[in-house]
Amino acid sequence: MRVRVLIPLLVIVLYGVVPFALAGNNYVMSILVAALIIAGVALAWALLGNLGGMVSFGHAAFFGVGSYISAIVTMKLGVPVFAAMLLGGAGAAVAAVAVLPALRLSGPYFALAVLAYAHIFKILATEFTTITGGAGGILGIPTLPRVLGYDFGSKVGGYLVIVTIVLLFALVYARIRNSYYGYALRAMHDSEDATRVVGVHSTLLKALMLFLSAFMTGVVGAFNAHCINFLEPDYAFSSGWTMLPVVAAIFGGYRTLTGPLVGAVVVYTVDQLVFKSLIPSGHQIIFGVLLGVMILFAPDGLIPLLAKKLQWVRQPRGCRDPRTESVC
Amino acid sequence: MTALILQSLYSGLLSGGSYALIALGLALVFGTMKIINLAHGEMVLLSAYMAYVMENRLAVNPLLATPLALVVACLIAVVVYFLVSRISRNRELNSLILTFGIGIILTNAALIIWSADIHSTSAPGFQEPVVLGPLYSMRSELGFFVASMVLVAALWWWLSRSWYGRAVRAVSSNRDAAKLMGINPHRTEVVSFVVAGILASVAGVAIYSTGVIQPALGASLTTKAFIITVLAGIGSIPGVLVGAVLIGVVEALTVTLYSSAIQELTGMALFLLVLFVLPNGLFGAARRRG
Repeated sequence: MRVRVLIPLLVIVLYGVVPFALAGNNYVMSILVAALIIAGVALAWALLGNLGGMVSFGHAAFFGVGSYISAIVTMKLGVPVFAAMLLGGAGAAVAAVAVLPALRLSGPYFALAVLAYAHIFKILATEFTTITGGAGGILGIPTLPRVLGYDFGSKVGGYLVIVTIVLLFALVYARIRNSYYGYALRAMHDSEDATRVVGVHSTLLKALMLFLSAFMTGVVGAFNAHCINFLEPDYAFSSGWTMLPVVAAIFGGYRTLTGPLVGAVVVYTVDQLVFKSLIPSGHQIIFGVLLGVMILFAPDGLIPLLAKKLQWVRQPRGCRDPRTESVC
Repeated sequence: MTALILQSLYSGLLSGGSYALIALGLALVFGTMKIINLAHGEMVLLSAYMAYVMENRLAVNPLLATPLALVVACLIAVVVYFLVSRISRNRELNSLILTFGIGIILTNAALIIWSADIHSTSAPGFQEPVVLGPLYSMRSELGFFVASMVLVAALWWWLSRSWYGRAVRAVSSNRDAAKLMGINPHRTEVVSFVVAGILASVAGVAIYSTGVIQPALGASLTTKAFIITVLAGIGSIPGVLVGAVLIGVVEALTVTLYSSAIQELTGMALFLLVLFVLPNGLFGAARRRG
């Protein structure tokens, strides 16, 4: 099996080669860390989109809530950073409870309702000045700690943490997709009514996917907060945290596991290294172009397209339908 | 205090006029094509910038920008239609992402061309006060409110009396049946997009003439228009009017009673409330039973 070879190879490259090859180059390392942050959110977004069948334009809300909660509990309650990151994720999942009534809305309505939620959370963060510091933001958020003599606050340390987070999320995603729940969720794409008839609690499953996606996004947001040590509402809840993951997932192929990850790294790096210097203000125009081109010409994304071109993976029996994502 | 509240009710009513135009355009396109055009607010935004360009570069009255805004908005509308109609499968969600992308392109184009600065009109006569008993407004606010009501009335007439208007309604309610009755659904869809563009262009000029504009405005207008259509329930012009005025009034009241920072919050809180309590909208439930 190709996968059995690829995964250990990937792990060796990510943990063994990349940190040593790029250790001296802080600039590239910080771009890579930022790209992996986007990758984490993109994965969470794709999980909701692919398994839950819901397109969200409000993941910035979960990102922001996660980052704020983690920053506040470390600074005000003295919670250790790694525990606080989990709390940030849990907080984002709790925030997702507020989104639950939107679940009864179908596709486009859900997407826009979540967009409205993102606005609400941003305004709340700006207005609850006693807890969040308001528009002035929070300064001096603790960096990742030193564990067993290794300083995770360094660039390479941060990289190792975010790589681990993203890989763990990918593992969870893959597990769910291949479980009973994964099949149920996939069946819901074709006919939610029929799936309900055979005894699948579709609303509950969708809600669980929403919580999981929010949790993942919150953890990544929390990591980001401890990585840059500064938060303000306009930054933490910036629509960029929604837009970039959407672009990354659509570019890579949001129905695949690797698509959002590859998409995030490619899109973010190219944007930072090329377009940001070409068009300093408004370089995000390229994301819009990319979304349009992908939806019109390759709605499945890059990874399935490449796989088809290169015949990477032989199609196993019963997996002819591209939507059952036999690729990856 | 009563005077203040009365005044904010009045101001809210006036700003509801242009909100109604934007929301009606969004609802119209949703009706015929069953897609939500996330670039709708950006059509309004670019129309507003046309008014700004006319005033600041060519030094003419921003009202004269309306024809130019009309051309720009309709052009965008037709391009959006053309692109969306090329989507072959899973149109509901793919069109959402596509128009989201078009919105990003237009917002950033505005950012590149006009920078992130805030602009407002300084044309003579626009900000002069009009006094109606205890109520004050700018001349432009009142003028554009009247204009939008005329336009809404025209839209109502068009939808209920004219051939194309009725075709739009027919395609909205049952596309296949409409096709069998000899209506060309594609042409009807284009028409609905163009009408949405017309409404958006007037709304854009109105927003520039009565307030401030900046590139980020487009996305928030789309959200607001969407909230209004949810409040209204789909397919009801009076519903959209009431929803638009409601949002305008709630925003104005928040600014008066609390602060301008949470202006948008109350509109969204209202939206959540309706979502919880009346998922069919304020007017949708009654219509469905009937």
